[in-house]
Amino acid sequence: MKVTFWGVRGSIPCPGPETVRYGGNTACLELYLEEIDRRIIIDAGSGIRLLGNKLMAEQLPRGPIQADIFFTHTHWDHIMGFPFFTPVFIPGTKLNIYGPVTFENETLQDALNGQWTYRYFPVRHEELSSEINYIDLKEESIDLGQGLVLRTKYLNHPLLCLGYRFEFRGRIFCTAYDTEPYRNLFCNDPEDPAYDEAMAREGEKVAREENERLERFIRGADMLVYDTMYTRAELENGRRGWGHSSMEYAIESAGRNHVKHLVLFHHDPGRTDAQLDELDLRLCEPARSDEFHVSFAVEGTTLQL
Amino acid sequence: MAESPEILTGASKNRAGFAMDTERRIKTIKRFIERMPSLPTSVTKVLEICNRPDTSPNDLNRVISLDPVLTGQVMKLINSAYYALPNRITSLTRAIIMLGINTVKNLALATSVLSTFRDRIACRRMTMDDFWAHSLGVGVIAKTLAQITGVTAAEQETYFVAGLLHDLGKIPLANKFPGEYDQVVETVGSNGASLVECEQKVFGVDHLHVGGMIAGKWRLNHDMQAAITGHCLECGDVSDHTVAIMVALADYLAVRFDIGAAGNREIEDKVLIAALGRISIRPDKLEGLRSKVEQEIERARDFLKIAGRED
Repeated sequence: MKVTFWGVRGSIPCPGPETVRYGGNTACLELYLEEIDRRIIIDAGSGIRLLGNKLMAEQLPRGPIQADIFFTHTHWDHIMGFPFFTPVFIPGTKLNIYGPVTFENETLQDALNGQWTYRYFPVRHEELSSEINYIDLKEESIDLGQGLVLRTKYLNHPLLCLGYRFEFRGRIFCTAYDTEPYRNLFCNDPEDPAYDEAMAREGEKVAREENERLERFIRGADMLVYDTMYTRAELENGRRGWGHSSMEYAIESAGRNHVKHLVLFHHDPGRTDAQLDELDLRLCEPARSDEFHVSFAVEGTTLQL
Repeated sequence: MAESPEILTGASKNRAGFAMDTERRIKTIKRFIERMPSLPTSVTKVLEICNRPDTSPNDLNRVISLDPVLTGQVMKLINSAYYALPNRITSLTRAIIMLGINTVKNLALATSVLSTFRDRIACRRMTMDDFWAHSLGVGVIAKTLAQITGVTAAEQETYFVAGLLHDLGKIPLANKFPGEYDQVVETVGSNGASLVECEQKVFGVDHLHVGGMIAGKWRLNHDMQAAITGHCLECGDVSDHTVAIMVALADYLAVRFDIGAAGNREIEDKVLIAALGRISIRPDKLEGLRSKVEQEIERARDFLKIAGRED
């Protein structure tokens, strides 16, 4: 398995001299299974444009482009590059597109179609020349054929959002973005007039159980790509409920669940290269060991599992 | 419309026959209201709690839990919409933590309102969808007007709920006498008659009065009752209750914006401007209101798609 990071940012592309090393494009990963020549793309943030260009240059001369695209969710930063993914306009291209339905039970296709309207983009979805097959996912386990098995898990984000766990010939690649640790939302202060002991207790239990479920989902992954938009201090300071995790939490959680390589991902657009270097020294370096590697995702790099 | 005079004058009936008809109709309506589901938790309570922007998880859990039917519906919706695995979410507490307070709150809101309104209207000229869109539009506009006049965020919800429920009285009329109600809707506007006048001619009673009967049965609070029974600016005895005036105004604006339909006719600019003056709103303050209202309605419609499903 080879994993290439085409976009590593959250929220919005942020090109500029201060983000040139870690990259300014939004979320897009490519997982390539060499043994079976199969390509999986996760999310179509602005980074997918460059991947499309590469496929046009290298893949198309050898035959029609085929790929499976998995959307974690349909927030803007994860879909904005899709209309600029050139293979989608090429006759013969075959795409299987997977992802969650929205809260309103709107299909993935309907949710994505919104951006293929004249008011946002000059080409309508009906006019695309490629063959696109949409598959709605819930929390489930599916056999993708050729020995590739996928498990999905709902994450904690303001929109229905899926984490993906691909297992292929004994290796495991897993994503957990965008997500925030579950917490007890119920009043926990016995002095507060709204306090209800049973509710508070159940709230604690549910939050713990749901966090444990996510830990089981990531357990034993050879590589885990995790939403770590914030530091713990930032998250606790006015960003609760936004649906993102802290670097510290991801490191602790991956560490105790025998993940081999944790990749910190979905960098805040305001985070500069210098700040990421500093955070690497302060948070990643002390956590590294022979069994556990932690690094920040860098746009344009490829990692081997 | 050509056929209106007969309805308006009752020319084909003698007075005694008309009175008997009226009595029978009112009896039918009363029976209908008696059989309307009485809500174990007052519908306004659910609506008020759910509509507050700062609803606390504790309040939300409490207000939904008080109503076992509503709890069941919310759990059913959550499980079918979200999980391939059946009954994965087994408690409201878990649902609130996993799906977030807004998701659960919106489901509860849609479910509680819809269970009241569902399948109760079968008129050609005022379909359930039209009626629902109109009610929702009036709710959203009333709330926005309240905002403009500086009503606090917590109190704005009263205006929303009052707007949503203001036409409750039309449900029994349109449900029991769909043919007659179609005629009423057709007639409104000809001969200068208002909806309320047409209803009185045909049924001997109007939707304000019938709405008052339902509000009484449901023990809705004073503001709701005032809005339901007093939202007619054209009627002689104009309410001086602020919520009622605001809802009445929202009612006319919804017609003007062409949002849904509930039989009302459009009113003249000078009546509208005079009414705005009564609650100290300058007409230019209404700019942009229409698109805001349309967005809110679209959002609410999405929830209804789920809540409206039988399975």
